[in-house]
Order: sequence, then structure tokens, then C-alpha cells
Amino acid sequence: NEELWVQSVLEMPKRRDILAIVLIVLPWTLLITVWHQSTIAPLLAVHKDDGGDSQRDLAAGLDSKEYCLSDRDIVEVVRTEYVYTRPPPWSDTLPTIHVITPTYSRPVQKAELTRLANTLLHVPNLHWILVEDSQRRTPLITRLLRDTGLNYTHLNVETPRNYKLRGDMRDPRIPRGTMQRNLALRWLRETFNKNNSQPGIVYFADDDNTYSLELFEEMRSTRKVSVWPVAFVGGLRYESPKVNSAGKVYGWKTVFDPHRPFAIDMAGFAVNLRLILQRSQAYFKLRGVKGGYQESSLLRELVTLNDLEPKAANCTKILVWHTRTEKPVLVNEGKKGFTDPNVEI
Amino acid sequence: FVYARPPPWSDTLPTIFVITPTYTRPVQKAELTRLANTFLHVQNLHWVVVEDSPRRTNLVSNLLEKAGLNFTHLNVETPKSLKLGLSWIPSHTPRGTLQRNLGLHWLRDSFSNTAPPEGVVYFADDDNTYSLELFEEMRYTRRVSVWPVAFVGGLRYESPKVSPAGKVVGWKTVFDPNRPFAIDMAGFAISIKLILEKPHASFKLEGVKGGYQETSLLKDLVTMDGLEPKAANCTKVLVWHTRTERPTLVNEGKRGFTDPRVEV
Repeated sequence: NEELWVQSVLEMPKRRDILAIVLIVLPWTLLITVWHQSTIAPLLAVHKDDGGDSQRDLAAGLDSKEYCLSDRDIVEVVRTEYVYTRPPPWSDTLPTIHVITPTYSRPVQKAELTRLANTLLHVPNLHWILVEDSQRRTPLITRLLRDTGLNYTHLNVETPRNYKLRGDMRDPRIPRGTMQRNLALRWLRETFNKNNSQPGIVYFADDDNTYSLELFEEMRSTRKVSVWPVAFVGGLRYESPKVNSAGKVYGWKTVFDPHRPFAIDMAGFAVNLRLILQRSQAYFKLRGVKGGYQESSLLRELVTLNDLEPKAANCTKILVWHTRTEKPVLVNEGKKGFTDPNVEI
Repeated sequence: FVYARPPPWSDTLPTIFVITPTYTRPVQKAELTRLANTFLHVQNLHWVVVEDSPRRTNLVSNLLEKAGLNFTHLNVETPKSLKLGLSWIPSHTPRGTLQRNLGLHWLRDSFSNTAPPEGVVYFADDDNTYSLELFEEMRYTRRVSVWPVAFVGGLRYESPKVSPAGKVVGWKTVFDPNRPFAIDMAGFAISIKLILEKPHASFKLEGVKGGYQETSLLKDLVTMDGLEPKAANCTKVLVWHTRTERPTLVNEGKRGFTDPRVEV
């Protein structure tokens, strides 16, 4: 009995010891394994592509997905970084959208260009060609363009005085902005070689219209000339190309002169850069253009009705609005001017 | 890299709550679209859109969903008896008042006065133009901050008068410069803390003289010498009170030429 009792007393501590050892060692093993795995991952190099000119002035949000296999296999880390930069990083695969905007000095000019720039700053691979109707490039525009961070070209050409529109009266003999748009077309033809394959799209965007971000993605796939509806033109809620069931443009849903070769607003089409470079003599007609025919004067030299590519869900969605801004009332400035003229508005 | 808009939310930046009253008319979608395009650049912005309507409309709901902004969508209809009438009626409810007050009410309902979030409230009408710089100027408002606004009061801009010591001492306006706060709705921002501290401060609904709407709220929140001047001591214009022309729809005729199901 005593022997048995002594034996069992000797055995019990052994089992207890083993249990104690396991309970102490196991947590440490687990701890070391976890620590080992979590420190390996950040040491793998993640290549950062610097987005060139884009302003990376705000913090990037991190959404990191770590795919960790067992610690014997290669640990692979895939990090999706949601980065906000203004404008978005330039891409090697997206065609460039060259946006041609004629502009002229008047009180609301800076406001218009500010909110237009705020829209354009979301569009990747956008090149803004701003053409002032002025004798010289103004400091206001020079500063504004530089401060936005956009990819831009700043041009100017003054519409001769006898052609200029007086006040708000629309003079149908020379539509406003024509010389400026033509200068931009000339600049494109002088800058880009028609044999080089830099894909690009040309779009005419006036500084007081309103553009959705979706519109720019619709026009990016233009092969020759693409078209879509425009709101608040022709005295209608919108004007639109007529598209048949085969997806071809066969006419124009307008009240005003629907038999124009291209009864479409300036904001309703985009042209592939290649086509602009190939048809190097195609310009907007300067004189003798009937009201509403300016767009036709260019497009008839570039494309036929049949070749037009309808966008915006076969021309059923509105992605651009021909908004106009009221002239502000400045009556309280009086004769001598009340506000400080050195303060830029 | 995936391009994100708006910028990722930050736990340390104060939030900018932008209250925008809006109402149905042809240019509404265009206005809200270009406004959203501006807001999508601003970090930690929460857009409170308040429709003047009996129900939240699909147009605004869909626009807000698609934009990707942090938003709250409210609505309250201005009763016909209060709607803006002829301009020679001296006492009326300026447009947007009920909607702005509802926005304030939502803030007070959503946040507690004992643990107020860091942030500011700004009233942004849907047809004005805002620079991105403006939002960074207003972000660190302690009580009420102010700055110039273009195209108001019949001037190129109206502005607070700032003394060399950096205190607001008056108003550079032609129209009634002796108003307690001769400033446009777009010319000031209020800290959330202050809004929650003074739960009864709201825009006055009736009997408000033209140009006194802003005063009707601000007088219950702050005194002139407590104002914080921004925009380089009120020497820069960072916001413009632009107005959009009403589009000519004469060719729609009596029966309507365009498809009414196509949303404009």
C-alpha cells in the first residue's frame, strides 16, 4: 500500500508538470508565430508610381488586403491604395481628352473657370486648352491655370473689333469663340504629328456650361465623331440626335431647323484627334455662317451623318447642360467704383 | 492605385457640414451636378441637401447616391402662403429658410451637446460658385468666421471691415451697412459646437426685412467682435454669388416636344 501510494504521488506531479509546461509554453509559441507573420509583411517592397504633376497633398486611405499563406510559403501582400490626387494620376492607357475652352474677360469669368476647373480636376488624362479672347494672356488666367494643377495650354487671340458682339446682342455674322477654337485646332495640328499614335479626343467646352463626369468617359471611346444630347438648347429641354434601332444617327430631334447637316450644339459632339490631324484644313467658318450652322461648318469637313457614333445610352441620357450665367448687378459700384479694384473677383 | 473621390475620410480633420436648400426647376440637376463636382474634392465634407418639396424626389435621391459624397437627404415644403411673392411685399419668408432651419434641426438631433463633433456648418446655395480654398479657410472656425462674397449688394463684392488688429469692426457694403451682420449667407460659417450650445438659434421665418435674414440667425450666436476674419483678413474673394439664367423652353410648345421621361 505504501509503495503504491508513493508511486502514485510520484506520478501525479509528473502529469501536473507536463500540463504546467504546456500551459506556459503554448501561449508563447502562439505569440511568437503571430508576431513573426505580422512583421514580415510590411518589409516586402511596394512600388510607388509617382503620379507626375498631380498634387498629392492629401493623405491616402489604405485598404490593405494581406493574403498570408502558411509561414513556410511565400507571403504575398496585395495593397489596394485608394488615393485622391488632384488631378488623378496620368494613365499610359487612356486616350487624352483635349478640352478647348474659349474665354473672355467679364465679371463672372473667374467664377466660371473656377467651377469648370473643379469639374475637370476629376477627369484622368485631361488636357485643358484655354484660349482667351484678348490681346495678351491675362495674369488672372495665368494664375488660375497654374493654381489648379491641371495639365493645360494657355493661348490667346483677339477677335477683331468690328466682328465683336456688342453687349449681349447675338450677332449671327460671327459667333463668339470661333477664332479661339480655330486657334486651338491649329495648335493641335502644329503640336501633334499625324503619324504618331498618341490617342486623343477633342471636345469644345464653353466656360459657362455644366458637364457631368460621366460625359468625359463616354467621349473617350470616340473613333471618328461621337454625339449625344444637350440640355437647354434650341428652346427645348434638350436637343438630341435621332438614333435608329441599328444604333445609327439618321436625323435630329430639334424644333429649330432640324434639316441642318448637323443640328447639334457645340457641347454635343467630340472628335478623334487623328481625324483633326488628318483633315488639317477643317476649321469653323468665320464669316457668313447662319445662326445655328457653326457646328455644321466644321463637322461637314470631317464626317458624314452615317459615321456618327451615338453615346449616352444611344442618346437617351443627358450628360451636359447648356447653362448660362446671369450678368451680376453692379449698380452700387457707382461712377467711381466702391470696391477695391486691386481685389480680384 | 485606384482613384478615389471624395478623398478618404480622416479621423483628425474637422467635418464641414454643408447645408444646401434646393427646389425643383429645369436647371436643378445641372446646379447640383456641378456643385457635387466641387464638393467631391473636399475632405471630410458632409452634404445636407434639403428639398423644398412634400417628398424626397427621385432626381435628387439618385444624384446623391451616384455622386459618392457623404450626405443626408431631407425635405420640407414651404407652405404656399409663405412662398416668396412679389418683391414689393416688405415682409416675407426668404426662400430656403425652412429648409436651412431643418438642416440645423437635423444637426441638433444627430449630435449631442455634451460631446460635440469637431466641425463647422456652412450654408451653400445650389447656384453659387465655391473655390476649394474656401473650405480649408472655414474648417478651423472656433465660433463664427467671415469672409468676402462676390456679386452681392449690387457690388463686385461685399466684405467685412477688418481692423489692423484683425478684428471685424464693420461692413464694406453700400446697401444698409449698419445691419448687425451685413453679410451674405455664403459669407460665414459657424462651429458645430456653437450651434449645439445655442439650440434655439434659427433663421427667423416671418417679418424679416430684406437683407436681414443672416442677422436673424447670427445675432443669437455671436457679437461682431467675436467674428473670425478669414481669406487673408478678408482681402481675397473665394466665393461668388452667381445666378443661373432661366433656360428658354419656348419650343416645347403646349404639348411638349421632348420626351418627359428623359431627366434633365
